[in-house]
Amino acid sequence: MSTTKGTLSPLHAGAWAILPLTPGIVPFGLIAGVTPVQLGYHWIDSALASLLIFAGASQIAAYQLIAQDSALWVIVLTVVAVNLRYVLYSASIAPHLSEAPWPIRIAAAYGLTDQSYAVCLHTFAVREFDLRERVLFYFGGVGVIWGVWQSATLVGALAGQVIPRIWSLEFMIPLSFFVLALSTVRRPPHRTAAILGGSVAALLMHAPFNLGLITGASVGVLGGLLHHRWRQPHVS
Amino acid sequence: MSPELLSILGLCGFATLCLKGSFIEGQRHLQMPGWFRDALDYVPPAILMALVVPGFIKGDATLTVLNGAVWIDPRWIGAIVAFAAYQLTRKSIPTLAAGMLALHGSYWLQSVLTAA
Repeated sequence: MSTTKGTLSPLHAGAWAILPLTPGIVPFGLIAGVTPVQLGYHWIDSALASLLIFAGASQIAAYQLIAQDSALWVIVLTVVAVNLRYVLYSASIAPHLSEAPWPIRIAAAYGLTDQSYAVCLHTFAVREFDLRERVLFYFGGVGVIWGVWQSATLVGALAGQVIPRIWSLEFMIPLSFFVLALSTVRRPPHRTAAILGGSVAALLMHAPFNLGLITGASVGVLGGLLHHRWRQPHVS
Repeated sequence: MSPELLSILGLCGFATLCLKGSFIEGQRHLQMPGWFRDALDYVPPAILMALVVPGFIKGDATLTVLNGAVWIDPRWIGAIVAFAAYQLTRKSIPTLAAGMLALHGSYWLQSVLTAA
């Protein structure tokens, strides 16, 4: 890898570009690591979820549902729903990576995160990279995010073993999702989706197999979509 | 780690990989209908709030289980304070800190008032 004078190689440039975003993922990584341990699982279970799933909110959601003895399809469907935004990311990053060999495409898919998506899409729009440079830039960023995320969840998992139950850290689970949910409410139809999703899930919270979760989310999405369609004629 | 837990996590990981790789891998074959793209925008608030609300009201707070009941569930106060903190700061760390502090503070205050 050559580094021309005054400029970074694409790999290093990718790592450098994503660095400012890493402090934001550390607290959430700690929570994702500590959550399974607080729910009674071993720290290795927690670390393994981080390796296998590598998608923060869905890792926490999966363990919350596993601990509640939810049906397998409810767990998987919830993980899919929490991670559906990656379909949008995948669609918009694909033109930059889809010509790469398939093992690189698979690795690129695994490493896709909110941060790597945001940094790469911005950079690919303003810099003229060939395919090799784009791949190197992408993996430079992904490598940093992956390392920071795995380290944070591991530290959280190990710390979770010594944190007393009275600290009520399990309350961080709904609290973390609450923060994420609030950050996604940008327009009135989002508010409709959030209110309907939460209300229906609360009404059906004693339904078997945690069906209230899927029903609430479905009603929320439908409500948000109908509100969106209803508003469209009024939007110029 | 039990084989059952490993297979659940593996399945969740595979499903996530399929979502992430859907268009990177299958761009030539996949097309996203407009309604589906619109609907995707409403999935995060709906699913996240469906996870959140029962977490605030279902069962009992660990504090009350370990130390005894109080008048108002401290989780509700924690949620309200977290909501207010988010509206004020729009940042996650102050919101989480405010929610946790309100949880413990409101429980402690109610315990003191009950004892008095």
